[in-house]
Amino acid sequence: MVTREEQDLAVKILDEKTNRQLLYYLDICTRCGICKDACHQYVATGDVLYLPASRAQLIRKVFRKYFTIQGKLIPSVVEATAPNDKLLEDLYRASYACTSCRRCMYYCPFSIDTTWFTSIGRAMLVAIGRGATILGELADAAIMKGENIDMFRDILIEGLKDTEDEFKARVGDPAATIPIGKKGAHSLYVALAGTHTILPMAIIFHQAKADWSLSLFEAANYGYFYGDTARAKKIAQRFVDEAKALGVQELIISECGHAYRVMEFLYEAWAKEKLPFKIRAVVDVMHDYIKEGRIKLKPGSLLEPVTYHDPCQVGRNGGFYEEPRNIVKAVAADYREMTPNREKQWCCGGGGGLVAESEFDTLRQVSGQKKVEQIRKTGAKVLVTPCENCRLQIEMLNEKNNLGIRISSMMDLVVESMDLPGAKPA
Amino acid sequence: MDWFSFIVAGIMVYVAVAVFLIGSIYRVIQWRRAPKSTVKQGMFPRAENPFKRTLKLGKDSLLFPQVLDTDRWMWFFVIGMHLAGIGLFFGHLRLLFEITPLYNALGAGGMETLASWVGGAIGISLFIAFTYFLLRRFKSPYRELSVPEDYLLLLLILLLVLLGDHLRLTHPFDLASYRDYMSSLLHFKPAFSTAITFSADKWVLDAHVLTANMLLIYFPFSKLVHAMGGFAGNLLRSE
Repeated sequence: MVTREEQDLAVKILDEKTNRQLLYYLDICTRCGICKDACHQYVATGDVLYLPASRAQLIRKVFRKYFTIQGKLIPSVVEATAPNDKLLEDLYRASYACTSCRRCMYYCPFSIDTTWFTSIGRAMLVAIGRGATILGELADAAIMKGENIDMFRDILIEGLKDTEDEFKARVGDPAATIPIGKKGAHSLYVALAGTHTILPMAIIFHQAKADWSLSLFEAANYGYFYGDTARAKKIAQRFVDEAKALGVQELIISECGHAYRVMEFLYEAWAKEKLPFKIRAVVDVMHDYIKEGRIKLKPGSLLEPVTYHDPCQVGRNGGFYEEPRNIVKAVAADYREMTPNREKQWCCGGGGGLVAESEFDTLRQVSGQKKVEQIRKTGAKVLVTPCENCRLQIEMLNEKNNLGIRISSMMDLVVESMDLPGAKPA
Repeated sequence: MDWFSFIVAGIMVYVAVAVFLIGSIYRVIQWRRAPKSTVKQGMFPRAENPFKRTLKLGKDSLLFPQVLDTDRWMWFFVIGMHLAGIGLFFGHLRLLFEITPLYNALGAGGMETLASWVGGAIGISLFIAFTYFLLRRFKSPYRELSVPEDYLLLLLILLLVLLGDHLRLTHPFDLASYRDYMSSLLHFKPAFSTAITFSADKWVLDAHVLTANMLLIYFPFSKLVHAMGGFAGNLLRSE
């Protein structure tokens, strides 16, 4: 049962996080419910808690209770409520289930951004020890790695040996290396955990004759998913400091939607500093290489029908609609667009940290049905998407719904379509 | 003016207008004084220049394209209600100042006929629109989403509209008397004309003014502030 101290702490967090944007959103929502058709989770489940305005209403109830005249004078009329157990349980589900896709913002006549509410909901829960445990653990592991990088450095470099050998073989250049800690490099590339986003990019960078260095850290930011700005900042700061130390001109974020959003739109506000380098999404970098003729793709080399899924954090919240499409269209013989697309693209259902939270597995599966319908309607056999979370989610949907498609990252698609001098993979 | 009318249609009007104005200004100050997060919204596509941004703001805030895309009936009633609301404002303004160009063009009789038709249409439209909004709230998922405030506000507005419709539609409209009343309010000497004082509609007018006062007083504390803050919400989107 929630204690008085925990309630006070949750309210304190709400007070601290209340800013102009949130005040507007708290005051102007008319609960018209127009947002109901925007949320894939509400549409699929019919659970009113997932309706964007309902998610916001939980925060509004607490805000009204403690910070408004009407909440003090007529609490039952405006449903002003203390953060009791029921409210906190609902807040957990409403906040942590939200994929932060922000599709609802397009539907709202006042453009209310529900993620302001869900991120504050997560922060309140974290403060009173009710946050999503797995996300907190993953965030702490990433921070621990940052604090003990000397211990991890050799293990990481050793682990890359096989990848480097394969890279040399693919580009047919025995002298080729995967540079790490290269001072004065033009770009620092922040990959994802594992080597699946290192090898293809190493090939692309090599072929484009790019001056780059690989970051010792991974791009994913579980602190952001957890709802803890301090942890999120620490995680991002690991490669920000690395980039500063190397003196790079740009920081390239791998195919990871939320990691790009954190760096491009949030980090400077959190850290209260202007970064001395540019933040780039890897999909934009690849697009530039193709446009500038630094890498050449084989037009029409992908014969199967192919479709493209806009990751919410790359498209709607990142601004890259045409660049990824241009890349896919450059190699596809039969490109098929999903409907709706671009800013109205349905969320795949896996963002916001859900892929890591097994408690939401069923919800992910059910709420992905809009995506399943969209994919089926295209008749595509290949789906390309430049986001790890989207890829993992759509792979699950593919398996559970027998879609029979192949899901490819953008960088894999690019490498497959390049004429490489070296050996092809077995 | 009897003591009840003097309180409700006299003193309370000043209180209501003062609360409405001071409360609304205070609300705007409260918004503006709150620290603005430096986090960039990052919603795309983004308007390319300030002109397009303003155009989009106007379109989103005045034409509600999102509502049109999602719920056509709702859009029909929302746009109808807002347009009728503008008409209502000018209709009541006529109790203070004559719309001279129209009056000159139509003459006294023509102006009265027009006012009667337009005023009646506006009153009926508002009643239908607010009835729709109220009934919609009883349907899932809007029912689960609604709080008592939503119903009470709609009931208050419906009552206000209904009383206004009664004054406008049930028998010949005593424009001169209502103008005298409005003028007395402006001169801080609230009074009803003899015709109103001895009319059966005096109580209806009292009730109409009372509900209007209640709405004005509650406005700054209610979701109706979307009339002001809605623009800010839509502007934030393109930052």
